[in-house]
Amino acid sequence: MRPHSPEPGVLAGEPAIAAGFTASSRRRAGPRWEPYLYLLPGVVVFTLFVVIPIVAALAISLTAWNGISWDTATFVGIDNYIQAFEEPRFWTALWHNLILIPYFVILPTILGLAPAALVHQMKLRGAALFQAGLFLPYIMPGVLIGVVWRWMLNPIFGPVNSVLEDIGFDPPTWLADFTWALPTIGFIGAWAAYGFCYVVLVAGIQKIPVDLYDAARLDGANGWQEFTAVTLPGLRREIAVVLTVNLINALRAFDVVKATTDGGPGDSTTVLALFMMNSLDGNRAGYAIAIALFLAVVTLVLSLAVLKLFGDRDD
Amino acid sequence: MIKRGLAYAVLVLGCLIAIVPFAITTLASLKTMPEIVQDVLALPATPAWGNYAEAWEQGRFSRFFLNSTVVAIAVVIPSVVFSSMTGYAFARFRFRGSNAIFGYLLLGMVVPLQAMVVPLFYLLRELNMLDSLWALILPQIALSMSFGTLLMRQTFASVPKDIVEASVLDGASSWQILWQVMFPLSRPLIGTLGLLFFIWTWNEFLLPLVVNIDPDYHTLPVGLLYFQQRWTSNMPLIAAGATIIFVPLILIFMMFQKQLIRGLTEGALKG
Repeated sequence: MRPHSPEPGVLAGEPAIAAGFTASSRRRAGPRWEPYLYLLPGVVVFTLFVVIPIVAALAISLTAWNGISWDTATFVGIDNYIQAFEEPRFWTALWHNLILIPYFVILPTILGLAPAALVHQMKLRGAALFQAGLFLPYIMPGVLIGVVWRWMLNPIFGPVNSVLEDIGFDPPTWLADFTWALPTIGFIGAWAAYGFCYVVLVAGIQKIPVDLYDAARLDGANGWQEFTAVTLPGLRREIAVVLTVNLINALRAFDVVKATTDGGPGDSTTVLALFMMNSLDGNRAGYAIAIALFLAVVTLVLSLAVLKLFGDRDD
Repeated sequence: MIKRGLAYAVLVLGCLIAIVPFAITTLASLKTMPEIVQDVLALPATPAWGNYAEAWEQGRFSRFFLNSTVVAIAVVIPSVVFSSMTGYAFARFRFRGSNAIFGYLLLGMVVPLQAMVVPLFYLLRELNMLDSLWALILPQIALSMSFGTLLMRQTFASVPKDIVEASVLDGASSWQILWQVMFPLSRPLIGTLGLLFFIWTWNEFLLPLVVNIDPDYHTLPVGLLYFQQRWTSNMPLIAAGATIIFVPLILIFMMFQKQLIRGLTEGALKG
């Protein structure tokens, strides 16, 4: 759940830090090693439990190792990566992640954008109240979302099918159906994200200068033209953020899948993170870590591409 | 104003779709299984509070709840303190290597936990920490450092310089300036940071799933997963377990709604 920055350089781009301090206050601040003391606890714990695992991940991904005794580890170069690329189930899992993208990324962005534009154009009041309701799913753990929807969609006594049957439909078994399971997980992902998209986009719309809208109206623009000519371009940065966050969630999907289908029926919903965790059970540590690193790189590259494509063009 | 009415209807519908699944889950937690099978949306004849007692005791949710709470507190407090210190170092001082160390601390935002969790398992095994709350606490403090440092550096850098200068002239040490001047002045943002750390820790799933096999050290999300697998068709019990997890989150959300929404959306903008 912690946010992951696809581009730390952007974040570090704030104006000169320590701007609030003049030379005199800095000179009186104490001995030269003082700042290092402040860094010490944070850097030590970070090195031990984040940096060492990252370095170890790179190293272990180049070995064949049973995960038990260090003596058994042998250097195999990029063999683990090659093995993964030659495994059809690896590509199937990656393909499942790609199928999730329209559901996890595009659908919630549209579902958030439309009401956000509507609220703005019609100057609706009570936006804050709606915000709270819409945002609620976003703070919930993925496992909980999975458990809640698994029961909602239970084909025998779940509320969704009960209602659908009452009004005369013949609904599928959703998560238990080979064709429907993956799209259903996709819809659950869209459900969990659209409120978040709405909140980010509403905040963005409020930052668009009012005179841009006035100018558009003077030029005789109708509501739709206002939306395409002013709102959409003005929201480019927020849209980039929303798309990137959603994309990362689609590529790293794990919690919701684990709690709803655990990859089934068959292999029909096995996403890459789940495939990685399952291959770990077979004592193939290097192989599993190679897949995880591959996924990390793909995620980084794709999210950077989205950010470059949509955001920061004129900043 | 039919158009306005329609727009409101869209918003209300959006809200309902977001909230109703949780409401129906809570409803199911107060029913018996036959009542659910008969009419899933009807109110129960009498609320079946026994489901909660059963989930709490037999389902061991009391234990998971305790673990989640202990881990959350033990992660949030040191994370806020350490990030304040690192953020302060970067905001207040100019020193050799500051850019390099700052970039180093941001590394945690580029590499996902999924890529670290397996080596983390072996590291914790070497340290004899598997199947303990330490296995959850220490890595999550470490994972908090990237975002925490980033936010606190920004926060402290925006504290007006006059205030700091006045304290320097009063003879305050830099340590005193951090905790007696900067920290209280930045309380709103520190509150937001603490809330974010709390939610992230409370919701974390992958780490406890991998490093703690012993159910004595499960937190609520992992506990719920195994609970669901064990009681597959006992819906009222699963619903009670789910409700136990989301009610504290909803309460915290209602209390700190503005801060949380701002923090999580801006956190995403930064992330």
